[in-house]
Amino acid sequence: MPLEIDDTGKAGIVIAPPGADLLELFSHIVLDDILYTLVHDLVIDVHRKEKKARASTAAIKVEKLAANSIDSSMPDQKPDVDIETDAAIYKKGKVMLKGNPLKTTKEIFCPRCNLPKLLYPTEGKGAKKPDPSIIYCKRHPYIEKPGFDIYGQTWIAPGPGRGKKKKDVEKNKNGDDSPVPGAEVSAKDRPPNVLGFPSATCPKCKRCILVSRLNNHMGSCIGNGGRNASRAATQKINSNAGSQNGENTPPGSQKGTPLPGSRAGSPRKRDGDEYDEDAAEESDPIIPKKKKLKANALNKKVILKTKSPATMAKKDKTKGSSHLSVEHKAGDGDEKPPKTTAILPPKKINAKGPSPAKKIKIGKPPVPSPGGKKAGKKDRDLERESSGTLSSPPR
Amino acid sequence: MAARPGTSASPKDYEVKAAQPGEPVYGCEHLQRLFNQDQNTTNTSIEHYKSILGTLFDKSPVIAQTPKPLEGPSFTTLTSTYLCLQCPSILTEEDRTKHGNKKSHRFYVDSRSATVYCQMCDDMVYDPTFEDLRLKKLATKSFATSRKRKQDELFSPDPVKDSPSYITQNTTLTSCKANGLRGIYNAGATCYQNVVLQSFLHNPILRNYYLSDGHSCDVPHCLSCAMDDMFQDFYVAENTNGYTAANILSGFWISDKKAFENLVTTKEQDAHEFFQFLAEELHERNGDGKRPEIGSEHSCDCIIHQTYYGKLQSTTTCQNCQGVTHQVQSFLDLSLPLENLVQKKGKKDAPSVTPTRSSITLQECLNEEYIKQDKCEYRCNNCSSMQQARRQTLIKSLPNVLSIQLKRFEYKQGRHERAAKIETPVQFPLQLNMLPYTTRNKVIDPKDRYETARACTYDLFSVVVHVGEIDTGHYVTYCRVGDQWFAFNDHKVEVAQKSEVLNAKAYLLFYIARYLS
Repeated sequence: MPLEIDDTGKAGIVIAPPGADLLELFSHIVLDDILYTLVHDLVIDVHRKEKKARASTAAIKVEKLAANSIDSSMPDQKPDVDIETDAAIYKKGKVMLKGNPLKTTKEIFCPRCNLPKLLYPTEGKGAKKPDPSIIYCKRHPYIEKPGFDIYGQTWIAPGPGRGKKKKDVEKNKNGDDSPVPGAEVSAKDRPPNVLGFPSATCPKCKRCILVSRLNNHMGSCIGNGGRNASRAATQKINSNAGSQNGENTPPGSQKGTPLPGSRAGSPRKRDGDEYDEDAAEESDPIIPKKKKLKANALNKKVILKTKSPATMAKKDKTKGSSHLSVEHKAGDGDEKPPKTTAILPPKKINAKGPSPAKKIKIGKPPVPSPGGKKAGKKDRDLERESSGTLSSPPR
Repeated sequence: MAARPGTSASPKDYEVKAAQPGEPVYGCEHLQRLFNQDQNTTNTSIEHYKSILGTLFDKSPVIAQTPKPLEGPSFTTLTSTYLCLQCPSILTEEDRTKHGNKKSHRFYVDSRSATVYCQMCDDMVYDPTFEDLRLKKLATKSFATSRKRKQDELFSPDPVKDSPSYITQNTTLTSCKANGLRGIYNAGATCYQNVVLQSFLHNPILRNYYLSDGHSCDVPHCLSCAMDDMFQDFYVAENTNGYTAANILSGFWISDKKAFENLVTTKEQDAHEFFQFLAEELHERNGDGKRPEIGSEHSCDCIIHQTYYGKLQSTTTCQNCQGVTHQVQSFLDLSLPLENLVQKKGKKDAPSVTPTRSSITLQECLNEEYIKQDKCEYRCNNCSSMQQARRQTLIKSLPNVLSIQLKRFEYKQGRHERAAKIETPVQFPLQLNMLPYTTRNKVIDPKDRYETARACTYDLFSVVVHVGEIDTGHYVTYCRVGDQWFAFNDHKVEVAQKSEVLNAKAYLLFYIARYLS
């Protein structure tokens, strides 16, 4: 083989120095070729995604035109028309490309909802202002902004009683210990992309517990540390359920009471959030003590009954409003004014939610608090570690 | 038009992919012309593309990387070559045009990605028919439709209920916003649960199972129902706020399973233990109800076994009579000890300047466990006495999802009883070849080597990381959705770079098989 070796590979970036020996020359060429193939693979990958998306957009556009050109009474029938755009031809229900979609098609439509895709994040790294006149696909590019999540959301700083450990709070002793710090009161002034921590219902005692305390609460309420206690808890829950059924409670209203069959009517997770809102709506934010709480709990039951026939509808509504709000705040500035007013009320209420729960906590002395954690920590940890090594799978 | 179903003369005739909404039928105008010439051209083109895929993916790369130049001797190159779609030539990029002009062959396949190049477009084209074949080749061994599909066809589909119009009229399309990317609120030291739940949520096999209504029962406080609810909430609802896993938590507290006795505390726990617990619990709720005996060869049709369980085979060779015994066990995950390896490395690297920089690789850990033989005492049946023996453990059947635990938490027995966390970084790959650790490695026909290695290839999809001390710390997890990585820190989800993921001090690794069996 005649050795006509260039001093470099295909990329031409890694070049052997003049006078290099054969081995040095070869290693430079190999490295250069590897670099080339890496770039080649990356480029093909991006090219494939982009060109497929554009080709699909060209198809969606011509299909839309075809669908609009005929009577829309038969949405599932392929319209029998011939339509031609700059990018594609529609004929006998089939779409054929015209030219290179990378040249003919500029925007990208979502293949699922057929709406244009937002191509830049609305905030943070690489952000661009979206065109307010366009309704975009709901899947937006993810936001990369320090302190915010991929949807541009952030959370109120946890204060005491909201998931922060005592030792953390002690670090800044400036009267922060008051049960209701600023963040909660000013919930209405809070920007919509700042979220509070939600609450959920304990399946045993039906109380509304702030999520950051849920594990602690269930530990004492259901678990009580022991296996028998948990059995007893299960039994108790089941017997409670029986009596409820006796009261002719419509099945849909067993919200927060995970029972056989109740799942179908009301996905349990949602209950937590709704419950929270209901509780806050119905109850004075300042509930004095346990006794009042019980009455409150009864209250809730009644309310649930009334709304139960429309459980599904209500659920959708809640989802539609409260969660959408988050997105719109984060994203399109265009829709802001009307949406904000429409959505803020439930938000306000939601933020108030935790406060009754906190009151309950205060009224109830021996809840294991994060402070109590320290005690017995050492042996716990040892226990954990030992079990960790022992429970390694069989080999 | 190319033959429609039913009109083709022989069953061997190929058809181009049927028109789909939102997708052009052909990759470009020129391929359209090719496919519309006659049935014979369509057949040969598709047949030849399939054989090219076989050459590229199942054979030694040397074959496709050795073009036959129009002039001069042939050579092997590292960079892409082009395989002519219309004849068996393999060409360099430079010779592609000459060959095209001479033979009027206009379509070529790129040897690295199997992408079709159209000379008239002077661009890569992505034809739906070819792309389907390519993706099928990447995901399965052959082009045969999967077994599940065949089963579905056996249950002859209801012409009314399975018609697209019936489906569109009676269902609503899930919003594009529901993409499964949500955080999970920390319910008070429950980050060890959140990380495992996230790794379940982003496991495509479990996702498909739960979203296709795989589980239904009416047992109260069923953890699998709670999982079902969670999957619905993540992939159907438009909510972007964090998820409150109240039902999982209460199911967890209410469960009276033995595994709970040491788990039920409100203290920080081991994520790996929770993973094992959840897997066993879900197996019991979905499977044959039998509690898997530790160390037995337990197999079951439940989703958990089909997803996570593989089989290990230990081979013990008696040093006296050379008698061999095999023992097979199922495993949920592979637990890899780090301590010995770290010490060994430490000694080796001790004189070097930067001892902190020393890291080990996942493959080294696997080598230590599954390639090296160890000595043990064992009661040989042949010799009917205690004998020295050599023992080797290899993987007999690989799971669809391979879970690996790096034993960072070691409990040291002895006078100074203490638990310690090993902070040594372990390098792990995005793509893992498990062939060397399987029993197949020894008996493999060299001809099938590439194909088998491809069948043993795993892709990383989730990494659980523990930050902090042994007795207190925090768990975070990285999960891959498509090609994008995300960091899940309780309720917060952020975009993550690959480098960030690969530099994390992993505790649990979840790999998914490229081929699903």
